[in-house]
Amino acid sequence: MIAKENSADVLTLEGISKSFPGVQALSDVSLRFHPGAIHAICGENGAGKSTLMKILSGTYRADGGRILLRGKLILIKNPRHAQELGISIVYQERSLANHLTVAENIYVCNQPATRFGFQQTDVLREQAMALLSRLNLPISPEEPVGDLSPGMQQMVEIAKALSHQPDVLILDEPTASITETETRSLFALLERLKQSGVAILYISHRMAEIFEIADVVSVLKDGKLNGTFPIAALTADKLIHHMVGRSLPNRDYEKRDFGRRVLEVRRLSGKGFSDVSLSLRQGEIIGVAGLVGAGRTELACAIFGANPATEGSIAVDGVPLSIMHPADAMRVGIAYLPEERKSQGLFMDMTLEENIVSATLRRLARRGFVKTSAATKATERLMDRLRVKAMGVNQQVGELSGGNQQKIVLAKWLLTNPKVLMVDEPTHGVDVGAKAEIHGLLKSIAKEGCAILLISSELPELLELSDRVLIMRQGILVHEIERQEATEERIMAYAAGNGE
Amino acid sequence: MNINRLLQQREIAIALSIAVVCIVASIAWPSVFPTFGNLSQLFLNISIETIVACGMMILLISGAFDLSVGSVVALSGGIAAYLLYNHGMYPLPAILAGVGAAALIGLINGYLVAYVGINPMIQTLAMMGIVRGAAMMISGSGIQNLHADFTVLGQSRFLGFQSPVWIMMAVVLVLHVLMSKHVLFRQYYYIGSNEQAAILSGIRVKRLKMHSFVLISLLAGIAGVLLAARMGAALGTSGRGMELRVITAAILGGASLLGGTGKVFGALLGTIFMGLVSNVLIIARVSGYWQDIVLGIILIVAVWLDLALKKQSVKSLKKVVGKR
Repeated sequence: MIAKENSADVLTLEGISKSFPGVQALSDVSLRFHPGAIHAICGENGAGKSTLMKILSGTYRADGGRILLRGKLILIKNPRHAQELGISIVYQERSLANHLTVAENIYVCNQPATRFGFQQTDVLREQAMALLSRLNLPISPEEPVGDLSPGMQQMVEIAKALSHQPDVLILDEPTASITETETRSLFALLERLKQSGVAILYISHRMAEIFEIADVVSVLKDGKLNGTFPIAALTADKLIHHMVGRSLPNRDYEKRDFGRRVLEVRRLSGKGFSDVSLSLRQGEIIGVAGLVGAGRTELACAIFGANPATEGSIAVDGVPLSIMHPADAMRVGIAYLPEERKSQGLFMDMTLEENIVSATLRRLARRGFVKTSAATKATERLMDRLRVKAMGVNQQVGELSGGNQQKIVLAKWLLTNPKVLMVDEPTHGVDVGAKAEIHGLLKSIAKEGCAILLISSELPELLELSDRVLIMRQGILVHEIERQEATEERIMAYAAGNGE
Repeated sequence: MNINRLLQQREIAIALSIAVVCIVASIAWPSVFPTFGNLSQLFLNISIETIVACGMMILLISGAFDLSVGSVVALSGGIAAYLLYNHGMYPLPAILAGVGAAALIGLINGYLVAYVGINPMIQTLAMMGIVRGAAMMISGSGIQNLHADFTVLGQSRFLGFQSPVWIMMAVVLVLHVLMSKHVLFRQYYYIGSNEQAAILSGIRVKRLKMHSFVLISLLAGIAGVLLAARMGAALGTSGRGMELRVITAAILGGASLLGGTGKVFGALLGTIFMGLVSNVLIIARVSGYWQDIVLGIILIVAVWLDLALKKQSVKSLKKVVGKR
């Protein structure tokens, strides 16, 4: 029975599962892709979309399940092998060499060459020209890629993927960094590819696009397939409902009294966001929701001075400030736990103590000389409070688990005694136990009077912790929801651009 | 596992190597090597480079390096000697002028690297050429017969060691204590370990980077004046190749080009080891060309060994974690 149905599919996934330590990233996902159809895959952040893609590209090996290509069982060994099998992927991040020409980029791994390995420039140019004109792309093969607009670079990426003449083309958020007009020409190109019989996997969470271009939509949620629907059977509301799937009311939330206003941001603009105003009171936790690229991190970095704002004002305790460097922000009691733990938060080959005191060096010193005993005492106190599991203050932070590493970064900022603590994806890549502990900790420091700005892509986390939720979309603060009225569906609707 | 960890501290590995070389040399040449005269000479030979190596160590810890130091040594000595000899200036202002010029070079390097964003390799490579040219112009084929009021600085003796050795000791001691205990200097470890995280921890990375270039130039300036005083002459070619020798010493002594690791004391161990190798080769009457070959091989072996040990300890760590 299955074999018969499969014959119409170009690519079939049967019961694909994949787990990482502490996370079941995908469980029992079965999907079928037809030639000449655009199949959208959507889901919240962390639903398993990128894991699925990495399995198809051969970057990860599935723990269980089968992949069939035209009815034949295949084992994808690595990205190169995926290409040879006819599966091409265009990633969200560009992988082009800016200084090389369009043609050289398209044929990067199969350049026409003479017997002695010398590049055949003429053949290369002709091949590229033929491909580009077949795709109807107005790009010269001899132009350096760096001179093209982002949208055209995206087209070159697609041309590169198509140079292998794939049966399956996978696109990951292809419109994330291109303009509206460029999106139009991208869609026209996809339409033509569809006609020629390519099966297209389109990963996106932009509602409008999905409804415009997809034939079929599959929804992933928490690593499980939540259904595959023909587009005609869906409305935006229904789709969001399938993506989020839980519309639980807020149970035991009680509104608390907050203290005086500590942070006041007025009409702040900068790279990636514009005209954002918000205020934060003592003891209050404000959640900031939005899709990846909505400008939330950029906003926090501007308030913290890591990427100073270009316009607008920031005031702490009513005093307007010019914050040009994180040191300026720290002086008035603003702290920021960055999104990327390893590259921005930690000094991986230094010890726990050195990490925890890194933002408080001066305070722990007398006449400029570090008081080792004071530093050690402070470190031990915090490690105790945060229940960090480690061998001692002198262990290297790189040897700890993700959850404990995150606690170390949090400890570092708690040691500064912040008035305003901004946390960016505080439980990203952290196991369930540590996550609950971090949530408890954030609540308790809010109770002690710290104002918290919580940036999170996990809706349950936002709903569990926040007193109010701000929603950003494409750099703009689009909506604010009080805790009592917030549901995951409403937040998602605003974040994806489908709010009432 | 424990021995492995211990040997990974490159300071300990190099100290052990020094001990081994000393023991072997003492047995081989009992009447020449283990004498106070030889020891004193050895330290005098390394004293001036060690002063510069300490600054290089700090730069390497912060993830940068400076190729112009050798030229700065020639420039500061040249300026001091020129003012002394041609203008009959008193030693102190002449010395200050030489050291001040060096600090200015460091300021330019530091500003362009930290605030403008020129790659330190390119910036200091260019400066190496510029400053060497200037030094050659000032000193020509050499300014000699410097006044005894000046040369006393590099030639006086105390407790059997010549003054550059004592100055070296002071520099090593002060910078070592500062780098291990003082908050201002501690920050270089953070910058070298993860610059992005350092910025986000409120560390003023640009300013500190600039300071480190000023500091190493200042040290090179002091070294240059000392060298001129010790030789009683300033040469346009002095300090040639010193930049690479002090980087070698710092790496042997525990630094890494990736930054974040090393101790100032390690720079001294590095120069002692290098001095020892040339001392032994001279005693053994091996041709001087062999020195460079031997040191090159030792550098590769040291870093290779380090990588191998690290890989092994990662493996054993994984085993431990796996068992849990």
